[in-house]
Amino acid sequence: MAPDRITNAIDSLITHIVPSDPNASEEATQERHDTCFELVKSILESPPSPAISSDVNHASDLIKRKLIQSNPSQALRFSNLYSRLLSLPVLEHKWAILYLLYQLADSPDPNEPLPLSPVKPSAPNYRDAISRDVIKRQGRERTSKTTRHEEEQFKDAFQPEGLKSLPPKVKEAKQVDEDGEPRPEAPKRDVSLKSTLLANNYSEIDPSESVILRDLPFTLQGLSSTTLPFVKQYTLKLPPTLPLPLVSLLHTLAEPSLLFRGLDEFCKSPAKGLLAQSLRAAISAELRSYLTLIATLEGQIRRALASLDEDAPRAGIGKAGVTLKRCVVWTREATMGLRLMSLIAEESEKKKGGQLVSLIHSFSSSHGDPVVAAFAERLLGSFTRPFYDILRHWIYDGELSDPYQEFFVREKAPSEDSSKGKGAGNVWEDKFEIAKDMIPSITTQDFAQKVFLIGKSLNFIRHSCGDSQWVEDYSKAASKELRYGDTATLETWIDEAYKTTMKRLIELMANKFHLFEHLQALKNYILLGQGDFIALLMESLAANLDRPAGAQYRHTLTAQLEHAIRGSNAQYDSPEVLRRLDARMLQLSHGDIGWDCFTLEYKIDAPVDVVVTEWGNRQYLKVFNFLWRIKRVEFALLSTWRRCMTGVRGVLQSSDPAVVQAWKSTRGVLAEMIHFVGQLQYYILFEVIESSWGELQKRIQKEDCTLDDLIQAHTRYLKDITHKGLLGAKQDDRTSYMVQLGEILRLMLSYRNSVDGLYSWSMSDFTRRQEADIRSTTRHDDDAALPPADQVPSEFPALQERLRQLGSSFRTRLQILLGDLAYQPDVDMRFLGVAMNFNDVYQPTRRKTKAAPSAGSAAANVSKG
Amino acid sequence: MPETDKHAAAQQAVDILHEISTILNCELDRRTLSICISMIERGVNPEALAKVIKELRGAAQEVEHNAAATARRR
Repeated sequence: MAPDRITNAIDSLITHIVPSDPNASEEATQERHDTCFELVKSILESPPSPAISSDVNHASDLIKRKLIQSNPSQALRFSNLYSRLLSLPVLEHKWAILYLLYQLADSPDPNEPLPLSPVKPSAPNYRDAISRDVIKRQGRERTSKTTRHEEEQFKDAFQPEGLKSLPPKVKEAKQVDEDGEPRPEAPKRDVSLKSTLLANNYSEIDPSESVILRDLPFTLQGLSSTTLPFVKQYTLKLPPTLPLPLVSLLHTLAEPSLLFRGLDEFCKSPAKGLLAQSLRAAISAELRSYLTLIATLEGQIRRALASLDEDAPRAGIGKAGVTLKRCVVWTREATMGLRLMSLIAEESEKKKGGQLVSLIHSFSSSHGDPVVAAFAERLLGSFTRPFYDILRHWIYDGELSDPYQEFFVREKAPSEDSSKGKGAGNVWEDKFEIAKDMIPSITTQDFAQKVFLIGKSLNFIRHSCGDSQWVEDYSKAASKELRYGDTATLETWIDEAYKTTMKRLIELMANKFHLFEHLQALKNYILLGQGDFIALLMESLAANLDRPAGAQYRHTLTAQLEHAIRGSNAQYDSPEVLRRLDARMLQLSHGDIGWDCFTLEYKIDAPVDVVVTEWGNRQYLKVFNFLWRIKRVEFALLSTWRRCMTGVRGVLQSSDPAVVQAWKSTRGVLAEMIHFVGQLQYYILFEVIESSWGELQKRIQKEDCTLDDLIQAHTRYLKDITHKGLLGAKQDDRTSYMVQLGEILRLMLSYRNSVDGLYSWSMSDFTRRQEADIRSTTRHDDDAALPPADQVPSEFPALQERLRQLGSSFRTRLQILLGDLAYQPDVDMRFLGVAMNFNDVYQPTRRKTKAAPSAGSAAANVSKG
Repeated sequence: MPETDKHAAAQQAVDILHEISTILNCELDRRTLSICISMIERGVNPEALAKVIKELRGAAQEVEHNAAATARRR
C-alpha cells in the first residue's frame, strides 16, 4: 500500500525502540537513526521466505505447541484469546501478527538488566565459561533424577521419525535442575530466555553442527572425512575449534566409530580355525546390521539437512529433528553391541574351539545385563554352527572332521602310544581322547562323555569291525540337523544315538567277533579250566620238558598240543577257538629246562584285542605260567608219590630201622606238600577264577552294557585273579606272595629230587643186598662186600640230612606264608590260610622284622619239630 | 457508527494481541505492538518485521551500553 505510511511507521518504530542517547550529539543520533532505517528497509524489502504459509491456524498451532511445551497453563488462556481474536472483524493478517509474536517470543526484557549476558566468543573466558557450563550440565545429567526422562527420550528416539521434540516433562525437569535447586518463581522464563540466548549464539561454532552432521555417517563407518579425520588406526582427530559440549558429544560418537574400525579389521584378519572363522562371520553379520543402522541414520541426516533453514538460530538444526545429541542416543544401543563384540574379539585371540564357545556362552548365561545376554545368545546361534557340524559328523558318522582341533574330542598323538607300551595299537583306547579344556560350557561333562563314546563306537564299528555299511545306513537314517538352542531335544537325540550305537557294538562283539566265546576259551585253556586237556598235555609233554630249554622244538610242542586236543574234550570246541591255541617257548635263559620256558598261547586279533588288551594277555600269561608251575609240581610230586607207594611193596623194604624211619618222614613231608599244592590249586581255580568269572558274567550280561563297561569288567576280572591268586606285586618284592610261593615250589621240586635220590639209593641198596645175599649163599667167605658197604652209609646220611633240611625249611616258609595270609584284608585269601591249616598242624608265624626272618624261625622250628 | 465500532474493535484486537504477546514474553509495549499491527496490515512480511525488531533492540542495547559506558567514564 502506501509506502510512505510504512516509512512513517518504521520511523516511529525506530524512535520508539531505540532510545536517544542523552550524551550523544544530535548528528550522531540522527546518523544512528538513518543507519537503522536503512537496515530496516533492506530487511523488509528482501524477498519473503517461502517457508511461511499464510494460514492463520499454522501460526496459532506453532504458538500453542510452544506454550504447551513451556507453560501448559498459559496455553488454555492463549486459545481463549485466540478465539476472541478470530471473532474480531478488523484485522486482515491475523496469522501474520501471530507469526510475528511467535517470532518475537521469549525476547529479553529490555527494562530489567539481562540475567545472562551473552558471552561473546571473542572473549578470553569464553571457553572457560562453556566448559564450566558443560561440567555443570554433565554433573546434572548424571543425577538419578534425569534417568526417567532419558528413558523416554530413548523411546522417542527409536520411533521411526526420531525425536520430534523434547518431551515437556524433560523440559520441566531441566528447569527444576537448572540452578541446582528449584525456584518457585519465574524460573520458566529464565530457562526460555537462556535457551534463546544459547540458540542465538550457537551458530558461531566452526565447523558448524550441520557440517559435522554431514560427515558423521562416514565417521561412524570408520571412514575419514574432512572435519573428522582418522589420524592413525585408532585415533580420531576432532576439530580443535569446537566448544567443549560438542567435543564431549563427539567423544561419545567416536566410540562406535573406533570400535567399528577395530572390529572390521578383526573380521578381515585371517582366522585360525573354523570356529574363529564363524565368529568373524557372525561379527561381520552384526556389523552389517550396524551399517544398516548407520545408513538409516544417514538418510535421516540427509533429509534433515536438506530441509535446513539457514536463517534460523543454530542454522535451524534444532527444528530439523536430527542433532548430534540425537545421533548419540540413536547409536547408543549399537555402541553397546560393538563394545561387547570387541571384547569378545579381543578375548578370542587367546582361545580356540570349545573355549571360544564357552567364552561367549558365559556372556549369554551369566552376564547380569539382559541386553548383553540377549546379544550373546543371538551371536551364539550363528557362531556355533561349525561346532554343531563337527558334533553331527561325530555322533552320526563317527568321523572327526576337525582340521583345527577345536572339538573336545581329538586324536591322540601317536608318539604317546609307543612310550606307554601298555596298549600299542589299541584302537579303542588310544585313537581318540577327550580334551577336558575344550568342552564348551553349553555341554555338561556327562554329555561330553556320551558324545565321545558315541563317536568312538561308530568309528570303531566302521574301521575296526569293518561294518561301515551299518554306520552309513545308520547315519542316513538318524542324521539330524543340530543347532544351538534346543538343548533338551539335542540331549534326547544324543541319548538315542548312544543307545543305538552301543547296542550295535555289543551285538557285533558278541555275534561277529565271538568275544564271549573267546573269553570262555581263555578261561578254559589259559586258566586251566579244561582239566582233562591240561592233564593230557602235561603227561605227554613231561618227558620232553625235563630236557634243557635249548632242546625244545616247536614242532614237537605243537604236535603234543594237537595230541592233547584230540585226546580230550577240547576236540569238540569250535575250530575258531582251537585255531588260536598255540604252544611255544618263552625266551630262553641259561640253565633253564623246558618247564620254565613252556607256555600256551591264545591269539587274539583285531577288534577283540580292545577288550583283551596286550596288558590283559600278559596277565593271562602270568596266571598261566603260575598255574602251570603249580600243576607241574603237583604232577612231579604225584609221580614220585606213586613210585614210592609201589616201591614200598618191593624194592624199598629194608631191615635197617634208620632207613625205614627216613622213608616214613619223607612220605609225611610229601603228603604235606601234596596237600599244600592241592589246596593252592583248589583255591586259585575255584575260589578265585570261578568266582571272578561269575562276576564278569554278571557284569557283561547287563542290559545297557557298553564296550567300555565290558573292558572295565574284564580288566577288573583279571585284576581280581592276579590279586587274589597271590600274583599281585603290591608289597615289596621280597615278601610278595609270588616270591614266597616260587620259593616254596622250588623247595618242593628239590625235595622231590632228593626223594628221587633216596629212592635210587634204596634201589641200589636193595640190589646190593640181594647180590650180597646171592653171594653169601654161593660164597660165604667172600669179603669183597666190605668196600661198597663203606661207601653206602656215607651217602645215606647226607641224603637224610638234606631231606630233613628241605622239609623243615618248607615248613618254615609255609608257616610264614600262613602268617601273612592270616592278616590279609581279603577274606578269600584268609580263607586259603584256614583251608591249608584246617587242623592247626602249623603255627603261623607273623613276621615282624624283615631282616633275616627265615634263619631264626627256621632254627626255632627245627628245635621244636 | 461503523468508524467508532471499527476503532473499538481495533482497540480490542490490540488488547488481545498484547495479552498474547505477554504470554509469549515478547516484551512488546502497546505502542510498538500497534505500530507492528499497522505495518503488517499494510502487507509487511512478519518474519522480516520480527528480524527488524530484533535488530533494533540490539541497536538500542548498544546505545544503552554506550550511554552507561560514557556515564561510568565520567
